[in-house]
Amino acid sequence: MDVSDLVDTTTGRQKRTIYSNEELYKQELERIFGRCWLFLVHTSQIPKAGDYFRTFMGEDDVIVIRQKDGSIKAFLNSCTHRGNRICRADRGNAKAFTCNYHGWSFAPDGSLAGVPLENEAYFGELDRSKLGLVQVTHVAEYKGLVFGCFDPDAPSLEDYLGDAKFFLDVWLDAMPGGTSLLGETQKMELGSNWKLPVENVCGDGYHLGWAHAGAMSAVQSMDLAGLSVGNSSTNLEGGLSVAGMNGHMALTSLDGISGYAFYPEPKPMMDYLEANRPTAIERLGKVRGEQLWGSQINITIFPNLQFLPGLNWFRVYHPKGPGKLEQWTWAMVENDMPDEMQAAILDNQCLTFGLAGLFDNDDGDNLAACTEQSRGWRTAQMDVFTNMALGRSGPRDGFPGDIAAGLVSEHNQRYFYRRWQEHMQAESWAEVPTYNINSLSVEEPGNA
Amino acid sequence: MLEMNPAPVLVEDMIALTQRLYHEARLLDAERFEDWLELLCDDVTYRMDLKRRRFRADRSPPAAVGAGVVFNENFARLKLRIDRLRSGYVWAEDPPNFVRRVISNVEIEPADAENEVIVHSVIVIHRNRIDGLARQFTAGRTDRWRHGTQGWCLAARDIALDHAVLPDSNINVFF
Ligand code: FES
Ligand SMILES: [Fe+2]
Repeated sequence: MDVSDLVDTTTGRQKRTIYSNEELYKQELERIFGRCWLFLVHTSQIPKAGDYFRTFMGEDDVIVIRQKDGSIKAFLNSCTHRGNRICRADRGNAKAFTCNYHGWSFAPDGSLAGVPLENEAYFGELDRSKLGLVQVTHVAEYKGLVFGCFDPDAPSLEDYLGDAKFFLDVWLDAMPGGTSLLGETQKMELGSNWKLPVENVCGDGYHLGWAHAGAMSAVQSMDLAGLSVGNSSTNLEGGLSVAGMNGHMALTSLDGISGYAFYPEPKPMMDYLEANRPTAIERLGKVRGEQLWGSQINITIFPNLQFLPGLNWFRVYHPKGPGKLEQWTWAMVENDMPDEMQAAILDNQCLTFGLAGLFDNDDGDNLAACTEQSRGWRTAQMDVFTNMALGRSGPRDGFPGDIAAGLVSEHNQRYFYRRWQEHMQAESWAEVPTYNINSLSVEEPGNA
Repeated sequence: MLEMNPAPVLVEDMIALTQRLYHEARLLDAERFEDWLELLCDDVTYRMDLKRRRFRADRSPPAAVGAGVVFNENFARLKLRIDRLRSGYVWAEDPPNFVRRVISNVEIEPADAENEVIVHSVIVIHRNRIDGLARQFTAGRTDRWRHGTQGWCLAARDIALDHAVLPDSNINVFF
């Protein structure tokens, strides 16, 4: 389908059909989820050989397995005999995966290791070497984050991430010990198109003071860049909306502490930041070490990965049709954080953005309703808008990207839909533009 | 096996506690949160853990820092949740939803402490929220109820939610 009229980035307009049209959804599975690098697992979730984790790439059920040599492979979670799902557990450790249907057995490297009655019923004529699990074309790691990609022509993961690495490293590389995801997966079904939560978290600071007013009024310690209950004020100097990095973006405050300042007991967190600030500056340079590390940051990796240093939740959205998705969330920590701090972060993440999250529970119905209001015959002909602060972006000293001031802006959303349109229009990776606007030509000290 | 207090639970207590569970459910259905708080001990713990879905033969260790929770509340945190619901800003609850709790499978046994009992029950929460959208949560509960000067108060509630994927976009309800 031609998508040239569905998104207009110059005016910040989208056609509502992009949230409900079945054909567009199928095209998304092919051209976005079938083409982009998708987050699979954090290395901390499968530390040992034989450890595996089940996830999705688009609607493809995938199993990610740590190999004997320490490398990571990913396979379609589907038996090569009659197609049955071979693994029904969320994660675990296994020596082999045996299909429930007829008992074919697959080794962790994907090879078909055993076939019942191979000689008696197949007369020894089965070529097992051709019937291994189907491997995900590319699997690569960036500092603990493991991504997979189905498209053989995709750019390298490093190139795909581009200048977003500037922000990724604030989380992944500020401390020498690296990072981890904690706990079991917090899974929620939402009656929403997958783009709406991504759009919401990538740039929509506008909704915080209104949609979350109930939680904000109850949790007195929450104060983000001057956003206030009832959307009555905001301070645009407190943050940046950063986009124009291959479809990835960041929404960041700049004080170096706001991510942790609103914890119910912030003192240990502040102590940790203070004690480790020199390390962060040494590793990331002054701008990031002082202004970003410790700040509340929303990081989005196109198309469906988002994580928020500070609130410390890490999330991926799996589409389940144009009007449905599964939202998977974990708490995230730096491994250098003391155990009690990690436990406090896990607890607070569950309290604020868990399944019964004081804040998270406000978003689902809005996203679902925006999805439903794209289905009516007349309603579907309407547009929706992300035109706030249009034309008010530019470069900023010390930062990559095209940047608008403040956390309240619709700048990032425009770039998200621009990227969506670019992928949906392109027949192949060769036609997908690459851009890292205002790239920092001279790398800061500490950058490898 | 836990060591059990050999004293059997009295029939009067069984009736009183079962009625307490029904009463509690009715208070919550009617959003009489403050009245519900009156039934809780000051040191109440209210917990719902995230569950593992593993093969029976799986030997991978449990998560180091913990599985994570849906609820890990004390009295103050329950109060915080009620403050949020009472703020007038929780748009998902306005208009009020049709919420009905069904409590069943009540089983009462002695606890270690003499003035406490363990109460097992099953709760089903039906919610009709937007138009025809009806969703249901099912959970098992293991409570510890304590007898004091004010009668029975809830000292601890462990809730086992029976959904691998939460089938709704919020849990603006108490179990
Ligand atoms: S479908 Fe898996 S063994 Fe037949
Ligand atoms: Fe939100």
